Amino acid sequence: MIANTGNSIDPWLAKSVRIDRITSEIDGVATYDLAFCDPASAQDYRFLPGQFNMLYLPGVGEVAISVSGDPNESSRIPHTIREAGNVTRSLARMSVGDSLGLRGPFGTSWPLESCQEQNVILVAGGIGLAPLRPTICQLLADRDRYGEISLLYGGRSPDGLLYTAEYDDWIAGGIDVQFTVDRATAGWPGNVGVVTLLLERLPLPEPAATVLLTCGPEVMMWYTIQTALTRGLAGESIFVSLERHMNCAIGLCGHCQMGPEFLCKDGPVFRYDRVATIMRVDDL
Amino acid sequence: MATQTKWKERFLARENLQSLLDELMSDGFQVVGPTIDQDAIVYDEIDSVDQLPQGWTDSQEPGRYRLQRRDDDAYFGHVVGPHSWKRYFFPPLATIATADRTQDGWRHATPDDPPPRLALLGVRACELAAIGVQDRVFLEGPFVDPIYQKRRQAVFIVAVNCTLAASTCFCTSTNSGPRCQTGFDLALTEIDNGFIIEVGSAAGAGIVSRLAVEVAGADQLASGESARRAAVDQIKKRLDTENIRDLLLQNLDHPQWDDVATRCLSCTNCTMVCPTCFCSSVKEVADLSGDHVQRQREWDSCFNFDFSYMNGGVVRNSIRSRYRQWLTHKLASWHDQFDTSGCVGCGRCITWCPVGIDLTKEVAAIRATPAKQGTQAKVVS
Amino acid sequence: MNTKDASTAQLMRQIEFLSTLSDDDVAKLAQLASVERHEAGTVLFREGDECEHLYLVVTGRVALEMCMPRRGCTRVLTVGAGEVVGFSALLGGHARAAQAIVSEDTVLIEFPAEQIQQLCDDDHDIGYALMNLVSKALLRRLVATRLQMLDVFGDSKAEGPVSS
Repeated sequence: MIANTGNSIDPWLAKSVRIDRITSEIDGVATYDLAFCDPASAQDYRFLPGQFNMLYLPGVGEVAISVSGDPNESSRIPHTIREAGNVTRSLARMSVGDSLGLRGPFGTSWPLESCQEQNVILVAGGIGLAPLRPTICQLLADRDRYGEISLLYGGRSPDGLLYTAEYDDWIAGGIDVQFTVDRATAGWPGNVGVVTLLLERLPLPEPAATVLLTCGPEVMMWYTIQTALTRGLAGESIFVSLERHMNCAIGLCGHCQMGPEFLCKDGPVFRYDRVATIMRVDDL
Repeated sequence: MATQTKWKERFLARENLQSLLDELMSDGFQVVGPTIDQDAIVYDEIDSVDQLPQGWTDSQEPGRYRLQRRDDDAYFGHVVGPHSWKRYFFPPLATIATADRTQDGWRHATPDDPPPRLALLGVRACELAAIGVQDRVFLEGPFVDPIYQKRRQAVFIVAVNCTLAASTCFCTSTNSGPRCQTGFDLALTEIDNGFIIEVGSAAGAGIVSRLAVEVAGADQLASGESARRAAVDQIKKRLDTENIRDLLLQNLDHPQWDDVATRCLSCTNCTMVCPTCFCSSVKEVADLSGDHVQRQREWDSCFNFDFSYMNGGVVRNSIRSRYRQWLTHKLASWHDQFDTSGCVGCGRCITWCPVGIDLTKEVAAIRATPAKQGTQAKVVS
Repeated sequence: MNTKDASTAQLMRQIEFLSTLSDDDVAKLAQLASVERHEAGTVLFREGDECEHLYLVVTGRVALEMCMPRRGCTRVLTVGAGEVVGFSALLGGHARAAQAIVSEDTVLIEFPAEQIQQLCDDDHDIGYALMNLVSKALLRRLVATRLQMLDVFGDSKAEGPVSS
């Protein structure tokens, strides 16, 4: 019998984490800051913007959630989570100090190196701002490396906009923050209309030196990309974050496939020209 | 596994086949081989050659499988049935992790399940190819599955060269048979009064050295050659694999998908019998107290309605889209993902489809009227 | 061309929306146009009003609102730099379908409805060019409106067979 010389990392095994802080965001959405119980795991954990973890509630199941905090802040790992199914609803009933499991980080990340010396446009919709927030932290930390940076953010309504308390800090740090809602409430003084309109109006003096990162509902991303292409951005300079059901996050269960891509390991972040064809097919 | 030295083929007399099983068992292996159950030839644990389907063969057509008596008493005079060997490396149900509630929170652990020591008897060339395909999935990606790895490392493989073919076989089209080339410890070819044995590894050589074998003579080798030739000659079905990856991925809107959707029941049979399908789902199984939880991985299928459920809806919400997913994955996307086809030409999906869908014909229908090239994405200006 | 019209033409040349118009056409339009600055809160027109002007936003923001009994007035769209307000002025014979209120200090290029309609009637070439531009703008706005209607951020708390 051949000795077991395999990989000592069991990709199915979760590490123990504790809820360190819960921040209520908008209706049905909260941010959970998680901390590893074991200091060695805390030391080893590193994530890149755009990556996600599988959060595990024993007896209920696992859910794939993007990390939504600063990659340089290693003691707490924030996850902004919307209540949508069994696991997220069970999580919403948990308190600070409760224990869960974590596997990760998984997936591809936003291409910050491709953004250097370029103008950067971030287009986010709804909860899609959460996976882009780590990128915002990185951009602010190294502001001089980048050209003009704009954040165009759309939500359903004024109380559906995430992280509003941080916009002033982002503006102060050198990001042009614009936001809009699909439906206004009485007295709303801001933009109304889909976020693609903000992109249509954005002055683009150097489209060939501009990178666009987008995350949100697929139809929003699709029209954002079409607008970007019409305005002269190259398909190789546009990046999207796609979503499908995740079960294993390690490329072995088959659930997250979209055409030939496994979103857990080939994605979720893709360069647009790689996925342009498969994005067009609705039920792929 | 095949060593540099070319081992000369041996001949084992028919009445000594039991001794091969005995030597494997004395080394601590549980032998798994073909046997008859519920009117089919399946794979199960055996300890005697009397449990092999001596004198039986299988008659297979789209949607039809029947056992028939042969006019001889060959042990391996049949091809492949509803079982494949994947169940022994990728079990239909397996505990992948456990969680136990303690005072300090949940403790997560990997179950300490030593893998069974199995000797697989009767593995065909298409099945060796299928094992090779699954090796790429479970062992050669960015993450290795420890269950598959442990079982794969512990196994002993006795392959058998086919001496006949079913009407549903098309391994010659996928370059995966009928001749066993590599990936085995021993390979047998059944001839009139015994077996030609080829050695494929040091472990195989070790077992053979303890059997009452002689170096195979020229007549015996010729018999073996002609027996294997019969298998090749009997393969009638063809899958045209010319540029098949592009053909399928450039025809995602072909009307043939609508056509097959009127026949397909989305029953998942094809994925269950397919030796390379690997979809699974993990579910939670807790004890009554809720303090001890097992994470159990079980086989799933892209044909299951909720396989692609996400955020309040099912992405592949029609039989058309699910059949298309299965076929384009198996024959096209698999190339992008694993640098090989997902299909080994075993024909099981054709035999076990209750409505007899034949994927070689589905591909041919698409090939007959492919979409025009160069359709670009519409840009809304 | 007098200096006022020349400077209007220059301003118009900077607007991406008008970039497909020839210099000649821009000059003809500049003669009709006036450039006006409006403070936040200015009402440009109300629902039901006759259409008196076509507006092109240079800088700033204009909110379009529609009003209903009991619900009051709801902002349905905000229009910004490079965009058109009051399309119906080009077509003639329509009443305003929304009210337009300047939402921050805004600079507008204003075209009187009758004169721009007359220009299009007299000069079909420029008429065609303008209709083309306006059709494209309407198409974009239609798609944007549909995206608003689709409610892509709508709550999806559906029960499902698979946990997520």
